[in-house]
Amino acid sequence: MSRIVMRFTGVGGQGVLLAGEIFAAAKIKMGGYGIKTATYTSQVRGGPTVVDIQLDNKEIFYPYAIDGQIDFMLSVADKSYQLFKNGVREGGIIVIDPNLVYPTDEDRKKWKIIEIPIITIAKEEVGNVITQSVVALAIANTFMNAIPEQILIDTMLSKVPKKVHEANLKAYELGKKYALQALEEMKK
Amino acid sequence: MSKMREVVSTGNDLAAMAAVDAGCRFFGGYPITPSSEVMHTISDLLPKVGGAAIQMEDEIGGICAAIGASMSGVRSLTATSGPGISLKAENLGLAQMAEVPLVVVNVMRGGPSTGLPTRVSQGDVAQAKNPSHGDYKSITVCAGNLAECYTETVRAFNLADRFMQPVIVLLDETLGHMHGKAYLPTQDEVKAQIKPRRTFDGPPEEYKPYGVPQDEPAILNPMFKGYRYHFTGLHHDASGFPTEEIETCRKLIDRLFRKVDEHVDELESYEEFMMDDAEILMIAYGSVSLAAKEAILRLREEGIKVGLFRPITLWPSPEKRMFELGQKFEKILSVELNMGQYLEEIQRATGRKDIEKLVKVNGRPFSPQDIIDKVKEL
Repeated sequence: MSRIVMRFTGVGGQGVLLAGEIFAAAKIKMGGYGIKTATYTSQVRGGPTVVDIQLDNKEIFYPYAIDGQIDFMLSVADKSYQLFKNGVREGGIIVIDPNLVYPTDEDRKKWKIIEIPIITIAKEEVGNVITQSVVALAIANTFMNAIPEQILIDTMLSKVPKKVHEANLKAYELGKKYALQALEEMKK
Repeated sequence: MSKMREVVSTGNDLAAMAAVDAGCRFFGGYPITPSSEVMHTISDLLPKVGGAAIQMEDEIGGICAAIGASMSGVRSLTATSGPGISLKAENLGLAQMAEVPLVVVNVMRGGPSTGLPTRVSQGDVAQAKNPSHGDYKSITVCAGNLAECYTETVRAFNLADRFMQPVIVLLDETLGHMHGKAYLPTQDEVKAQIKPRRTFDGPPEEYKPYGVPQDEPAILNPMFKGYRYHFTGLHHDASGFPTEEIETCRKLIDRLFRKVDEHVDELESYEEFMMDDAEILMIAYGSVSLAAKEAILRLREEGIKVGLFRPITLWPSPEKRMFELGQKFEKILSVELNMGQYLEEIQRATGRKDIEKLVKVNGRPFSPQDIIDKVKEL
């Protein structure tokens, strides 16, 4: 397997960091290498945040995603989307929350832009907005096939408190469902 | 072959874990980005092993508490970032002068002043050499990957007790916050490496903590154990009392230098990466070396043979090895996330003024491409 490079972007406080840690830990559990870096501003909440995830079977030295080589980006805030979209390679996949991110027509020609209302799913269907990072995790993995599902879910459960296991499992299932639907539509 | 264990963590958390495994039982500090997780994590770990962590009123209080704990014989840590070192400077000088062992983790961010709190930099390298006024020898080590955030913190504790002075561990924002896999020595191995501080076991009335040979550190017995000594930042005599006696004053500072200078072989540490057949030499340390290694691998795919020399102990520098490399390589490139703070040391050690530099001071890391482009220009 060659290197998988993913980027999650949002604003500080949305909790996009956790998904990256889960991916890295799951890959390492499988004997590979995973690195997550987070870049954020000194604004505690509301500043653009970017999480880079690299997964490989070979050792990864440089911890950041290299602009132009990112296969997959997920964004839940417009200012972060605008700031970081150009790191995604042409033809790469960008999943956005359509209520919060507004791509241009040119963007839609350059990348495969997929709209999934991540925050709404977490808030209304799962019933807990914090689970958005697990919705995002499921979406990313469904598109990228980065980690065998059960390993990823087990790793995720090991990183969240027991009392929210059920909510997070539901979040994972919903994320996966929406991602599969989007994949179906892409094929049409 | 030693047994290694695999740990998935961040640089800051690894530094905190290393401290506890190395026998540190006290932390005094004040939170500051990007080092706060060191304090956060060690505050969780220390009470579980009978230690204590305290958040003081400010950075100055943090280092003072750690110095005090160390004087009672306990391995002590403080952690901060550049602005915190500026505030701790006076007491770093006190610990140098009174010879109190202490480990200071500095997770570097952009400066001067409050600079770029959440961004990466290597702007505190020159500061680490002389954080406080006066004459003394800094011991500063610099982690270059996740595993070294652990192993260099362990080494710092051993060096602090061996040389009886503060040891600075430089991390940077990238290393402190990156999350990934590290292979570490086992806790038992770390424990086996611990050499307790020397103590004086003779009659208390004969105890002269600073009455030691000219290339040796002081012997500070723990406070409250029946051995009294005077503790001061003033020039002092063998018993620790202030003095202005000409020869005693000269010998004190001379000894602070010689206890380090005459034992540099115990301090020297560096890595050489792909140097055997290299035609161009790159010198980089800390997280920059990660981008450098990636760049080297890609340059080699194009047939450009570059090797990396990475100092791990920054102060005192590996000057002998740098001199040899300066004789061997025609083209040398220094890469650092500051305006060239270590370049001056490389120039001094190699005796060469024609060393190329690649610097960056906007809070962003070098990408491998930045380095590849520069190497191709050489």
